[in-house]
Amino acid sequence: MMKKRDTLDYPLYPVVLLIALLALIPFFFLLILALKSPEGGLSSIRLIPDFNWSNFPSAWKAGSLGKAMINNTIMTGGGIVVLIFLSSMAGYTIARFPSVLNKTIFAILLACMMIPGIINTVPLYTLLIRLRGINTYWAMIFVMATNALPFAVFLYSAFIRSIPISLEESAIIDGCSWFGAFWKITMPLLGPVTSSVVILQGVGMWNNYAQAVFFLQDKAHRNIPLAVSLFFQQYGANWPLMAAAATLGLLPAALMFLFFQRFFISGITTGSIKG
Amino acid sequence: MLPATSKNRFLHPNTGSWHRYMAVPALVLFSLFFLYPLSRGVWTSFTAWDGFSTPKFIGLANYKAFFQDSRALRDIQNTVLFALGSAPLLNIAGLLLALLLNRTFKARATVRSLLYLPAVISPMIMGSIWYLLLQPRRGLLAILLQQIGYEATSNWMLSGSSAMLVIVLVNVWQYAGMTMIIYLAGLQAIPIEHFEAAELEGASRGNIFRFIVLPQLTPALKINVITNIIGSLAVFDAILALTDGGPGYDTESLSIYIMRMSYGNKTGYSTAVALILFFIILVPVLFSLKFFNAKEKT
Repeated sequence: MMKKRDTLDYPLYPVVLLIALLALIPFFFLLILALKSPEGGLSSIRLIPDFNWSNFPSAWKAGSLGKAMINNTIMTGGGIVVLIFLSSMAGYTIARFPSVLNKTIFAILLACMMIPGIINTVPLYTLLIRLRGINTYWAMIFVMATNALPFAVFLYSAFIRSIPISLEESAIIDGCSWFGAFWKITMPLLGPVTSSVVILQGVGMWNNYAQAVFFLQDKAHRNIPLAVSLFFQQYGANWPLMAAAATLGLLPAALMFLFFQRFFISGITTGSIKG
Repeated sequence: MLPATSKNRFLHPNTGSWHRYMAVPALVLFSLFFLYPLSRGVWTSFTAWDGFSTPKFIGLANYKAFFQDSRALRDIQNTVLFALGSAPLLNIAGLLLALLLNRTFKARATVRSLLYLPAVISPMIMGSIWYLLLQPRRGLLAILLQQIGYEATSNWMLSGSSAMLVIVLVNVWQYAGMTMIIYLAGLQAIPIEHFEAAELEGASRGNIFRFIVLPQLTPALKINVITNIIGSLAVFDAILALTDGGPGYDTESLSIYIMRMSYGNKTGYSTAVALILFFIILVPVLFSLKFFNAKEKT
């Protein structure tokens, strides 16, 4: 009885196969396009790839994709570090000390959780001009960390509430400060929620376009989505080269996901259940 | 015993109180890069401003201009249309996939990961890829179809409605795995005893779904519906990559309109549009919050 409900009926196997193919086919098509040799033009393309790998180095060089990947790493890494640092501290004090100040901060953050970044991008742009933050790493790092802050604080405070406070109290009896108890006792227990924040917000920061298109205008600071979109505008006639650029652009995120998929799935699950 | 001077409060750990103010750094950052620009935006929405010179107060003129601009009204329609197509389809597809992949079979974990993969890729890049594949006449699909003797005569880029349909489908393709994962988590949180009891009572599959699965999926449903409403009403990258808002302005969304107006030196006006978009997002979000919170209580 149990078994019957839980296992997949055989007639459904083709359905699953079809769905898996539907998920994969665009990537396969992209690859045969990226591997197309120039001979015969596009109309001679076949479902068997030409294996003309030279499109990849050409696109890499023409689109300055290496630089874009370094930029992406710096900005996403910086954004995540700032976010984790600030939101774990805020989440802790909000969960443990419900003072008027902390309740107010939490209420403000919760209310702003549903405001997408695009709403204040234009006034933020004029602010960043005055702060000389256009075309800088630090501005993008702070902006992306800020936009991710409400959700991260929410996750941390919910998670910390589920940890018994007695652990910290016994550390304090032993002469530890509250702050020390946070760093030494609570922080090491925050692994699951931290990985959830890193994954949920890291993907968003890595793929950011809506802010990057405003704040990163010079070539030296472009991130990957920006570099790929500009590549498409510049090389709009060379489809194999465009396909190669898009493939290279999606590769870091896809590889990260394939290596750490267990963490991705559980990170999203913890994040959404707590949310 | 040391005297309790302010200096010693920090030296002596148990009497310090700055652990109570650990949210202040977050508040400072949030105030500078979110609350301050937001309030500036509210103010500039009542001004004529090019972004450089001194803003001139003009009252509600920006808002009036918005509702008299046929392109802007068209963009509201496009944005809402996209959300009305995207949010329900994403949830239906995600729920069906979750129900299917909640069963045990050999390659289950692989199929789940495969379906989630597109969601970690930048919508800008994913949109660009679909552009290469789907472009009428020049796209890979059109070429491959031509080779097997099928001349694709219809052109989805000729009309706004067919172009919008393609954008919606691409978006659903990219993010169905995301809603699926959240529904799967919801399904796995349902205690197995509930199924066993229902099966002992001889309940049909449809009734088990309606009376046991669906009510317990409310938290997952709430997250998915609300994040999809916000995400789809703020849609930006995917449209830029696929159609650039075309043909004409037929698929331009409000967020793209905001960007283009701000590039056109209409900074004051674009902040007014941003606030209008904010209310367009706020209303359905508050409604669904109210709906789901009432549901969760019963």
